Amino acid sequence: MRANPSEFEMVAPGSLHAIVSLLANEPDVWVPIAGGTDVMVQYAAGKLPARKLVSIWNVPELRRIEVTAGELRIGAGCTYTDLRRHDTVGSEFSLLERAARWTGGVANQNRGTIGGNIVNASPAADSLPALLVYDAELILVSVRGERRLPYVEFHIGYKKTLLAPDELIQAVCLPRRFSGYFCHARKVAARSAQAISKVCIAALGRLADGVVEDVRIALGSVAPVPLRLTETEQTVRGRVLDSELMLLARKVATAEIRPIDDIRSTARYRAAVAGNLVAEFLNRLNSQQTGAQRETVTNVLERWNRLPIDEAMSAILPCCASKAWLQGMVARRPFTDESALLAASNETWRHLTPSDWMEAFQNHPRIGESHPSSLETQSPPIVSSPDQSVEWSAQEQREVADADAVVKIALAGANREYERRFNRIFIVCATGKTALEILEMLRARLNNDAETELHEAAEQQRQITAIRLRKWLQG
Amino acid sequence: MTESRESGAKGEISFAVNGQSKTVLAYPMERLLDVLRQQLQLTGTKEGCGEGECGSCSVLMDGILVNSCLIPVLQANGSSVITIEGLAAGETLHVLQDAFLKCGGAQCGICTPGMILAAFHLLNGKPAPTMEEIREGLSGNLCRCTGYSQIVEAVAEAAGCGTSA
Repeated sequence: MRANPSEFEMVAPGSLHAIVSLLANEPDVWVPIAGGTDVMVQYAAGKLPARKLVSIWNVPELRRIEVTAGELRIGAGCTYTDLRRHDTVGSEFSLLERAARWTGGVANQNRGTIGGNIVNASPAADSLPALLVYDAELILVSVRGERRLPYVEFHIGYKKTLLAPDELIQAVCLPRRFSGYFCHARKVAARSAQAISKVCIAALGRLADGVVEDVRIALGSVAPVPLRLTETEQTVRGRVLDSELMLLARKVATAEIRPIDDIRSTARYRAAVAGNLVAEFLNRLNSQQTGAQRETVTNVLERWNRLPIDEAMSAILPCCASKAWLQGMVARRPFTDESALLAASNETWRHLTPSDWMEAFQNHPRIGESHPSSLETQSPPIVSSPDQSVEWSAQEQREVADADAVVKIALAGANREYERRFNRIFIVCATGKTALEILEMLRARLNNDAETELHEAAEQQRQITAIRLRKWLQG
Repeated sequence: MTESRESGAKGEISFAVNGQSKTVLAYPMERLLDVLRQQLQLTGTKEGCGEGECGSCSVLMDGILVNSCLIPVLQANGSSVITIEGLAAGETLHVLQDAFLKCGGAQCGICTPGMILAAFHLLNGKPAPTMEEIREGLSGNLCRCTGYSQIVEAVAEAAGCGTSA
């Protein structure tokens, strides 16, 4: 039911002093409205509880960004567009710039404010994880004076904050000490823009000689409040960032969050994605290559670029055993860096036929086994499995090897069922997945029709190939 | 729902609309969209979702693109508003309007005024946008007819003419 404007009062006093005086005189009566991107939506739906609104839009004291030696002070009335246009936000706080870019379309970015996003207190807000990892502090103002508190303490429950009825957020302060960090942000939603996140991540990290010096991770939509993953951070800090640590971080993160089922997603999906996002961040952090590693990649590629066709094909055979893929990759030489190689691999893969896929599948061992095994109904692999491929399979399935006997038996049974149903072995990108996760995927995929499942297996093979190409580049 | 309380008193709102000074008597929480359409009879501005998701009601307020369904008219007091009616010069269409006609950028027409104003806002800031920038500039405006390609083409076409305002 639409609201009736005659039931509402609204004033626009203009100055910060006049606004806080009004709030002090009648606390809990006046509700501030800035760009209206939340308040007016509630109003339109007839769900706005307040009847008296005070406009804080375009109040000069709230709409400026000050840069001092130690911090960036963003007025709470600054819009997403203001944030996107500010040089220091872009250069030193790119996670915030990215969140601003992801929030709504142009018109909403022109009106939505950072202060409004904080007070609205949605656990799904894209900018709030960024504020958490940047150690933001809030300046709250009332006629009683100003107080400053860490943003991490501000949200105390679902849509609950420490803001007193007579207070307004005046500014958000970000310490300028994160410019040397690697930063990573990702939003998972129904679409990549114009959609509220199912899960989003903002993270910062710094490595020294492969050891995690510092890491700061925050997620949205996984708890009643935007959540800093302090336990996960502690797990990772000060340790060598290898695949085992990444796996552990993923587990700790999944245990640390408190996701729920709602209209946008399920708790189970959110937990899986949250783990993936943390793992992806750590992976990216790790692949910020050192000079020596870059040199290795360059050397490997330079040597490979010059090899005769047959030798070049054999060299990357452990990555994927499809002849068409091997030929496609070799024909696309020369390559100068990892990203070009991976892009070419995806491109080549897109043009393969189902029979090429089958060729690639046949070179993998069954999950839970170590050597490629042909089914009775299948012809033997065209190429014999190289030792490197066997070793990588073992690495990829490390978690399975350590699994409970019960899970292993269940996995063996499900494998047999899969092979009976689809006439080939179950292909899954096992890297970083526990035996239980693989078992769940296997059981889910047993419900696929033949066509869907063939494409799913092919997609898994594509992922395996990318991971193996990266390993191959490390020499 | 219709009972009116004394708290809601109408007041005078003065602003410029398409370059002309206007003063209206309105409740402060009336939506700019409704004031434009009902009091000023500028019905080119359309209501789609009424909650800031679709961009049909886009207008420019003090040079920035806004959803007029989310603007309490009190916040428009003293501002300068441009609606779709303000783009053509008499009988001469704006270059964007010509381009939309030429490229088939309009079908049912509900999104069109908002699309054109979003494009107008984009070209004011970036006279020669890339395709990516055009898509981003129009990202808050939904169209359920065209599939967007013709709209993006129309904006590119208009930008190619080298005129943006």
